[in-house]
Amino acid sequence: MLAKRCLLLLVSGFFAFHLGAEEVPTPVGLEYCTVCHGAQLKGNENIQAPRLSGLSDWYLERQLLNFKGRIRGDHPDNITGGEMMLMARNLSDKEIKDIVAWVTATDSPKPLATIDADIKAGEVLYQTCSACHGPKAAGNKLLGAPNLSGLNDWYIFNQLNQFRLGMRGTHSSDSYGQQMRAVSGVITSEKDAANVAAFIHQLK
Amino acid sequence: MVGAAGGSSALLKTSLALGLMPDEPYTGPVKVKPAAKGQKPTALILGAGLAGLSTALELERAGYDCTILEASFRPGGRNLTVRNGDKIDEMGNPQICQFDKQENLYFNCGPARIPGHHRRLLHYCKTLHVPLQIKANSSKMAYFQDDKSLGGKPKRIVEYHTDVRGLMSELLWKSADSNQFDQLLSKEDVAKLKRFSKTYGDLTENGKYIGSDRGGSTKDRMLDHPSPHAPIELKAMLDSSFWYGGLLGSETYDWAEPLMEPTGGMDNVIKAFLRNLKKQPVLNAQVKKIFNRDNGVEVTYEHGGQFHTVKADYCFNNIPAHFMAGIENNFSDTYQSGLNAIKRGHLFKIAYQMKERFWENDGIYGGISYSKDAIGQIWYPSHDIHAQKGILLGAYTWDEKSTKMFEALSQEERLKSGAVSGEKIHPGFSQYIENGITIPWSRMNHQMGCGLRMSHENFEKYYHMLQKPEGRHFMIGDQISHHTGWQEGALASSEQALQQLNKMLAANFNIGESNYVS
Repeated sequence: MLAKRCLLLLVSGFFAFHLGAEEVPTPVGLEYCTVCHGAQLKGNENIQAPRLSGLSDWYLERQLLNFKGRIRGDHPDNITGGEMMLMARNLSDKEIKDIVAWVTATDSPKPLATIDADIKAGEVLYQTCSACHGPKAAGNKLLGAPNLSGLNDWYIFNQLNQFRLGMRGTHSSDSYGQQMRAVSGVITSEKDAANVAAFIHQLK
Repeated sequence: MVGAAGGSSALLKTSLALGLMPDEPYTGPVKVKPAAKGQKPTALILGAGLAGLSTALELERAGYDCTILEASFRPGGRNLTVRNGDKIDEMGNPQICQFDKQENLYFNCGPARIPGHHRRLLHYCKTLHVPLQIKANSSKMAYFQDDKSLGGKPKRIVEYHTDVRGLMSELLWKSADSNQFDQLLSKEDVAKLKRFSKTYGDLTENGKYIGSDRGGSTKDRMLDHPSPHAPIELKAMLDSSFWYGGLLGSETYDWAEPLMEPTGGMDNVIKAFLRNLKKQPVLNAQVKKIFNRDNGVEVTYEHGGQFHTVKADYCFNNIPAHFMAGIENNFSDTYQSGLNAIKRGHLFKIAYQMKERFWENDGIYGGISYSKDAIGQIWYPSHDIHAQKGILLGAYTWDEKSTKMFEALSQEERLKSGAVSGEKIHPGFSQYIENGITIPWSRMNHQMGCGLRMSHENFEKYYHMLQKPEGRHFMIGDQISHHTGWQEGALASSEQALQQLNKMLAANFNIGESNYVS
């Protein structure tokens, strides 16, 4: 048994081949990302770091550039956005490309629901959102609207509130964010935001 | 007499009966049940913080093969002492410590003091040969300062203490004088109480407090009669903030003087554990998966861009619990909910290298000044007195609002903001600053928090559950103790986990045996 155990430790490096094709190692130098966003970028609510796998390359790139350029996350009340802004501020263009390539290659289980809200009421409100994000919330590149399906419900809830309260989407260089802030007027309360987040979360 | 007649054990028993000694004198760390002959059970220790290292040491002593996986480039967790050239790994905001390359210029970014009743830590300091020295944790010559109190002027703690005692004694004298205690106390007792208040507060013959030379003198005391400073008014005392902050700081049990610190830096504790461990921690190894299996625990970590999967009989997890939601596992929902209930605590420190130990010219040798500003406290080093330079703690705050304010600033802004507050206590403070560092623990890579923050409800629900193993996985760290933020809490958590292991080994003796002979 002891010999077996030693062998197991010795060959552990080969286990990478058995982990499944979807599991991508963290590129050297980007280990910071998984500290908060978790294994395979599955997200971690405790750190308020959302799941990233499933987001489109063009959206990831835009957001990283926005964080880097203090276009997103600079509002004093936006604590978590501010934390991410600091992380992105020294990224080079190449690093951003590497991150985007890696994130889009990762896969992780879709997050579980954490918000118990009125899905029917959320569906009614979502009709406005649907115009850009699509009926299944899969996003629309032409309109610059990201995929929302597979995001954490608490993250959608927080972002809707940030748009609603002017903590995101107010920077003059953030044209897509401004669009989103304008239409987020249909969300008038935390309750609305919870309902919409719960509705999006259960979309297949 | 008892000792002579019955020997020392009779003396001990009598002393215990009389309540003279603590019931359970500390006898050292848990002795883990030694591995059966010819067997080498295995353990994975996740995180090379103090709890992880002490757990590994005790397991190695019992014959276990321990693999310590540490996500950071350095062992020690929040036990971090920085010196010239050291990297401070703040997320998105790394710094290199620019202190001069001198032995006495270091800063304890995490734990920094050890009270005499932290028996576990002191045991290791003694047996692992970590030299200690006294650390002055309070100085009566230090100051408190509040913009909204006493015109914002700094006040020496000794003056404030003396005045508070005088003013409170005056009230006590008055209530004794007006016979407010006659239901409870005899006439003689009341007279004694008046004498007590007079002595305690240094009152006049008729029970008035008019200032006291216990608080110093406005003139040289050697050649002249002391001339006490004018006492603060009762109203001014009540309006000041110091009495619910620093006034009692040095009277809390964990700050009960004298305190100690390892000579040369708190990380000597970590170095001592590393010296005594057979197997050194694997650094830069980030854990991605933890799975309880039938006869052990399987952990996958990443190291240098590659996955590694290792198995062991037991796993002791020192990873901050708020990271666990980002690590794949097969824990029960309740156990994971318990881990999620532990929230990120905020704590922030600034340290300045001062080109001159100007505070010593002001009569301050060690101790703490208290500020109502965001910086909270200023600590003066009590080691290397009269050296040319010194490292001064310029801010220490665990108030979430102040901490978040500092976190949002750049390094330079943090140092400037701290200096503005320092100026209020020590005019000219800024001109002594040569360089500085800042430590926001909730932004430090691989920590992202400090201390256990749990709602009262969650505490009731989860705390004791987290102290028990789930399968063969044990949570450890100060986060699983009532003494979060203290190394003693980390060691207590490790002790507690190893006690659970011993219980498990005793209960599953046969299962364990078959496991090893398969």
